[in-house]
Amino acid sequence: MSAAERKHEFVDSMRREQMLSELSFGRRLDGRKFDDYRPIEVQIGPIVKADGSAMVKIGHTTALVGVKVQVGNPFPDTPNEGILTVNADVLPLASPYEEPGPPDEDTIELSRVVDRGIRESHMLDMESLAIIQGKKVYAVFVDVTVLDVDGNLFDAVSYAAVAALATTKYRKANVKGDEVTLLEERVQLKPKTIPVSVTTAKIGEYLVIDPDGTEEAVMDARLTFTYDSKGRLCATQKGGTFGFTPAEILKQVESARLKAAQNRKILESAIKNAKKE
Amino acid sequence: MAKIQRKFVVPGDLIIKADIRPPPNTYKIGDAIYSLKVGLSEVEGRNVRVIPLSGKYVPRVDDLVIGVVTDLNAFAWIVDINSFFPAYLPASDVFGKRYSPETIDLSRKFDVGDVILARIATFDRSKDPMLTVAGPRLGRLNSGHLVKISPVKVPRLIGRKGSMSKMIEQSTGTRLTIGQNGIVVVTGPPDKIPLAIKSIEMVEREAHLAGLTEDVQNFLSKKLGVKPSTIAPQRRDHNE
Amino acid sequence: MVKLIDKKNLRVDGRKLDELRPIKLQVGVLKNADGSAYIEWGRNKIMVGVYGPKECHPKHMALPDRALLKCRYHMAPFSVDERKPPQPSRREIELSKIIREALSPAIVLEEFPRTAIEIYVEVLQSDGSSRVASITAASAALADAGIPMRDLVAGCAVGKVDGKIIADVSDIEDKEGEVDLPVAYMPNLDLVTLLQSDGALTKSEFEKAFKLALEKCRFVYDIQRNALLEGFMRTRKEAE
Repeated sequence: MSAAERKHEFVDSMRREQMLSELSFGRRLDGRKFDDYRPIEVQIGPIVKADGSAMVKIGHTTALVGVKVQVGNPFPDTPNEGILTVNADVLPLASPYEEPGPPDEDTIELSRVVDRGIRESHMLDMESLAIIQGKKVYAVFVDVTVLDVDGNLFDAVSYAAVAALATTKYRKANVKGDEVTLLEERVQLKPKTIPVSVTTAKIGEYLVIDPDGTEEAVMDARLTFTYDSKGRLCATQKGGTFGFTPAEILKQVESARLKAAQNRKILESAIKNAKKE
Repeated sequence: MAKIQRKFVVPGDLIIKADIRPPPNTYKIGDAIYSLKVGLSEVEGRNVRVIPLSGKYVPRVDDLVIGVVTDLNAFAWIVDINSFFPAYLPASDVFGKRYSPETIDLSRKFDVGDVILARIATFDRSKDPMLTVAGPRLGRLNSGHLVKISPVKVPRLIGRKGSMSKMIEQSTGTRLTIGQNGIVVVTGPPDKIPLAIKSIEMVEREAHLAGLTEDVQNFLSKKLGVKPSTIAPQRRDHNE
Repeated sequence: MVKLIDKKNLRVDGRKLDELRPIKLQVGVLKNADGSAYIEWGRNKIMVGVYGPKECHPKHMALPDRALLKCRYHMAPFSVDERKPPQPSRREIELSKIIREALSPAIVLEEFPRTAIEIYVEVLQSDGSSRVASITAASAALADAGIPMRDLVAGCAVGKVDGKIIADVSDIEDKEGEVDLPVAYMPNLDLVTLLQSDGALTKSEFEKAFKLALEKCRFVYDIQRNALLEGFMRTRKEAE
C-alpha cells in the first residue's frame, strides 16, 4: 500500500515566499539559474574491495556505488544473458527523515528508475556476461549507498552507478566442463553507451533542473529523463503528486537532453582519467 | 586582573583543579573540572567558561525564540523551535482562558507554515516547552529572510550589550530579529540583505575564535566601501 | 596454513608486531547529520552519522530520566569480498548492541530525558577490527554533534598470530590467526567499555595483550583529539 507521508523538511511560509519571489526574477534561493546544476564531483574507485566503485556529489547530495560481479544462475527467460541488479539504500545517517529498515517506496522507485536507465540504454552487453550458456552467468550487483540527502537523488545515484559500472574490472571466468572458477586476471567491463539522467522539478509555474533539498520539499512534481550517448531518450519517470502540462514536457525533454550532454562530458572525463591510472 | 587563558578542549580534558561548582558544559570529579564538549575553555583566575563548538538549543524560560508552526489542533499550535522537542503555544495565550474551542478557528490567527516570535513560558525535563506571544513585538513575522545558525553562536551574534548585531544593522540598514534558538530573521532593503546574511554567516563560522569583531568590521567596511571606523560597534548608553 | 609472521617478525602487510595501520579521521563531513565522522583505518572505510538529542519515536520507548541511546551498525553489500545482502545479519545486530554499550558510559544521557540519541555506523569497506574503528569514529561524531560526553572512547583490537601478540588485527589475521581481542577504553576516566575475545590465551598472554591494547587505545585517542581540533580550526580556513 502506498501512502503519502512527509519525508522531507518542513518549509515555512517565509522561505516559501522568498523562493517564489526569487523564481519570479529567474533565480533560485542559492543564486542558480533555472537550468544550472550544483557542482558535480565524481570520484572513481574509492572501494578497492569492490570490482568497480564511484562516489558522486551533486552539491551536498552524496551517493556511493559499489559494483560486485559474481557467478550465478541466469533467469529462466534469459538463459544466455548475465544478470543486473540495482539496489539503493538511503541510509538513516543521510537524513533525519530516513528510518532504518527495508527500502521504502521512494527508495525502491529510485532503484528501479536508475536500473531502467542502465538497462534500456543497453549500457551493458548482457550476452557477453554469459559464461556457460543456459547454466552459469555473471551477476552484476550495483549496490548504492546514499550518504547525504539534499535533493535530486535520482541523478546523483544514476551518475555514480554509471561511473562505477564503466570502470568495473571483473574476474575472468575459467570454464572446465560444468565448473566455473574465477581467476585473478581481470576483464574491463566495456559500456556500449553512457546513460545520463536529468531531473527537473516543477514549482508553481517554474521548471528548475537539479532541485536541492528545499526545492524538493516544496515542488509539485518531478520529471527524470535519461538519454544515451546518441541523445536518444531511453527512460522517463514522472514523480510527485501534481501534473505537468504537455507543453512543459515537450519543452523539458529537449532542455534536459542538452544538459545531459554537458553532464556526460563530466562523467566521461572522470572515467577516462581513472582508466589512465 | 588575571589574564584569560584560552585552550582548545575535547570531552574529558582537564580544565582546572579548583573546588568550584562545575559551570555549564563541564563536570567535576574530586577537585577537578573537566570539559563535556569540544570547544574553547576560558580560565580567568577561578572563573571558568567553556564555549562549545556545537550543540542543539536547550529551551530556557524567558528566552526569545523564533519558531515555525507545523501543526495545530483545537487547543494549541505546535511550533518547531529547532530544539529536541516541539513547543506548544496554547490557544488560551492568544484568546484568553475563556475561549471556546468550538467557535474559534486557530488557523485564523496563526496558520501552518507561519513564522512566529515568542518567548519560552515554561520548560522542565518532564514536559515539552510552552510558548507565549503575550508581549511587545511578539507574534507572527510576516516577511523577511530566515537564517539558521548554531544556537551556541547566538551570544556572539548579539555581542556584548548588543554591539555585534547593532554594528551589522546600522551599517547595512537592516533589522535582525534574533531568536536564542539560532533562528534569525533579516528585514530591510533587498540590496543590503545578502550582505547582512553574509555577516551573520561569518559570525557563525568564527564565533569561537578571537578577533571576530575586527573581522566582521573589516568585511563590512570593504563591502560597503567605507572606513572601518564608521562601522565600529557603538557603545550602548547605559540608559538604553 | 598461511604464515602470518615471517622470520624478521614482520606481518603479512609488513608491519611490526605492535604497529598500527594508518588511521585518518575527519569530523563534520555530512550536511544533514547533527554530528558525523569518517574514518579510514587501514583499508577499513567507515562513515558515522549521529542524530540527537531528538524526540523519541515511538513515544512509549522514551525513558523518563534519560535519553534513549540507539545504535545501528551496518555493512554495505560491497564492503566485503563476497557481496553481502543488505538485510542486517545476526553479527551486525550483535555489534550494534556492543558498540552502543561501549559508547553509553561516556554520554551524559541524564541531561536529555525523554529524547533519543541515534548513532548510525555504515561500514563502506571492511578489513578487520571494524568494530573498534566504528567506536573510535562514533565517539568523534558524538562530540562533533555537541552531545555532552565525559570522555572520548577509543578502540583498538589486539590478537595472537603464530603464537605472538600483535596490535591492530587485520582481516586476514582475524581469519587465519589464533586470537582476536577488541578493546574500547576511556583514557581520562580509566574505564574499559568494550572487551571481547575469541581463542585461547594464558594468563600472561592475556595480561600482555590487554596492556598493549590500552597503550594503543591511548594512541588512538590522540588521533581523535587531533581530528576534533582540525574540525575546530577548519572553520577559520573556510572563512578566509
